[in-house]
Amino acid sequence: MAIVEIRDLTKVYGRQVACREICLSVQEGQIFGLLGPNGAGKSTLVKMLVGLVHPTAGAAEVAGYAPQDIRGRRQVGFLPENFRFHGWLKGEELVAFHARLAGLDGRTAGRRAHEVLERVGLAGEGRKLVANYSKGMQQRLGLAAALVGDPRVVFLDEPTSGLDPLGRRQVREILLAIKEAGKTIFLNSHLLSEVEQVCDGVAIINRGTVVAAGRLDELQAGRGTVTIRLDGLTGELATGLRQHYPDLQWEGDRISLAVGGRERVADLVTRLVAGGCRVYEVTPGRSSLEDIFVYLVREGESACG
Amino acid sequence: MWLMALFTFREAWRKKVVLVTGGLTLAFLILYGTGLHFASRNMLSIADPPASFFEMMQTITISVMGIYLAGFLVAGLAILASVGSIAGEVESGTLHAVAARPLSRRDLLLGKFLGGAAMLVTYATLLFLSLAGLTYWQTGLVLPGLAPALGLFALKPLVLLSVAMLGTTRLATMSNGVLAFGLYALAMVGGMMEQIGALIRSASAVYAGVVTSLILPTDAVYRRLVATVVDRIPPVNGPDFPVLDPQMTLGPFGSQSTPSDWMLVYTLAYVVVLLAAAVYTFQRRDI
Repeated sequence: MAIVEIRDLTKVYGRQVACREICLSVQEGQIFGLLGPNGAGKSTLVKMLVGLVHPTAGAAEVAGYAPQDIRGRRQVGFLPENFRFHGWLKGEELVAFHARLAGLDGRTAGRRAHEVLERVGLAGEGRKLVANYSKGMQQRLGLAAALVGDPRVVFLDEPTSGLDPLGRRQVREILLAIKEAGKTIFLNSHLLSEVEQVCDGVAIINRGTVVAAGRLDELQAGRGTVTIRLDGLTGELATGLRQHYPDLQWEGDRISLAVGGRERVADLVTRLVAGGCRVYEVTPGRSSLEDIFVYLVREGESACG
Repeated sequence: MWLMALFTFREAWRKKVVLVTGGLTLAFLILYGTGLHFASRNMLSIADPPASFFEMMQTITISVMGIYLAGFLVAGLAILASVGSIAGEVESGTLHAVAARPLSRRDLLLGKFLGGAAMLVTYATLLFLSLAGLTYWQTGLVLPGLAPALGLFALKPLVLLSVAMLGTTRLATMSNGVLAFGLYALAMVGGMMEQIGALIRSASAVYAGVVTSLILPTDAVYRRLVATVVDRIPPVNGPDFPVLDPQMTLGPFGSQSTPSDWMLVYTLAYVVVLLAAAVYTFQRRDI
């Protein structure tokens, strides 16, 4: 079931288009990664989904409600990018305040605040002033505040920015634990390795437009390479194949080339066998998310001139 | 809304706004009390036997001056505490997580207004009662019309708060501060012009003052407060100064041209309309 449904969402600031006709669907229980270079429109999209920014056109539903609807917001947690919290509050006061805003009564809010602080590894730090927290602690505090209302869907805008590798790992573990609990996470990040490690689905956005979206394994398989170990390949056959596969590389008993999908691999093997080759091994290679990202963003840049 | 109001009140307390303002206020009260002490040292008791008109007016003048200056403190606090309440939090990034909560923009803004208003009314009340207490201690005069005067003194910062709340939904903190202080200064100068105009019988000057009071009615509230106090002074016994109007002795700080009840109604409506406009603007703003 889709918990986030985005239809033709557009945001225009003056003459600048921040998001253009974005359509996405995020299934409940997924960790969904939104990727894109700086200024691509990621934060604007997330802000539209949590009701901070009004779309110019299009519509969205989060947990079955429009983003501005208070009923829907009860089921949403949000960690903003470059957020800052009120430094004059103690950590546990801040989280309890967010719990109250999320609709919990005073006593429950205090209990939930302690629970989530423990969950993000700040159990003993709740009585410190937020102003005295390190960057990493503040980031985890932000996560605690986002989670305190027990939301069905959590929007995290660059949750690991400014964290050291240990801090990033901690956040990843928290994300996976949240997913285990059946929650949906909408992760906005430019850290590709992070997205690759935790996300089930991704969308890549560039210049305000979605340039690719889907399950991570599908995206990687769809733009993968294949290496074939074979015998009997002639120069004439190779030349013929290059008409269909211009990037075919031939080295000894191996050829490698980029293919788009399983059907094209099957076609290639059929051509090789028909040409008199004996095929011993077909090894699909997966493009890294970084390869896909760089390819799509560059393709977009060149298309725009 | 009440949660936001409590939060705003606590914020002022925790950020030591109260402590700093309290320190400044104490210094002001000590200075004022000292001045009052020396000014009234040679006065006869006002309460019993009845004082001369001059002695009574001397005390009233000092009290009115005290109220006028205390008005600056309250106005300064009202503006400084609220000019960045939305814009400042957007700029610093503290508002995003709060505004995404199941809390309407209207409740968020009105909560901030109520928290600020609670702080300002508390402060204005304590300051006004301290001034009245000092006056009584040093001169024996119970300020006439104490309760309505207190109400008017507390109303003035609420007017400024509503202006700053509307400004902060659209303007950056600095711009809003400049606008609020600018309007306050305009209203003050306009009010002075109006009083001088009334003294010298210049209809144009009075008209200019009325117009500035319509733009920002803070000075009108002050003039009404002065009228509330001075108009309650007991009649002068004997024919000492039959032509002297008590308001005239206060000069530009008095209320020769006293705002009507309709001006008070306008002031209350002004606060409500500005708050409604602030809610409307904030609801449409991208954060």
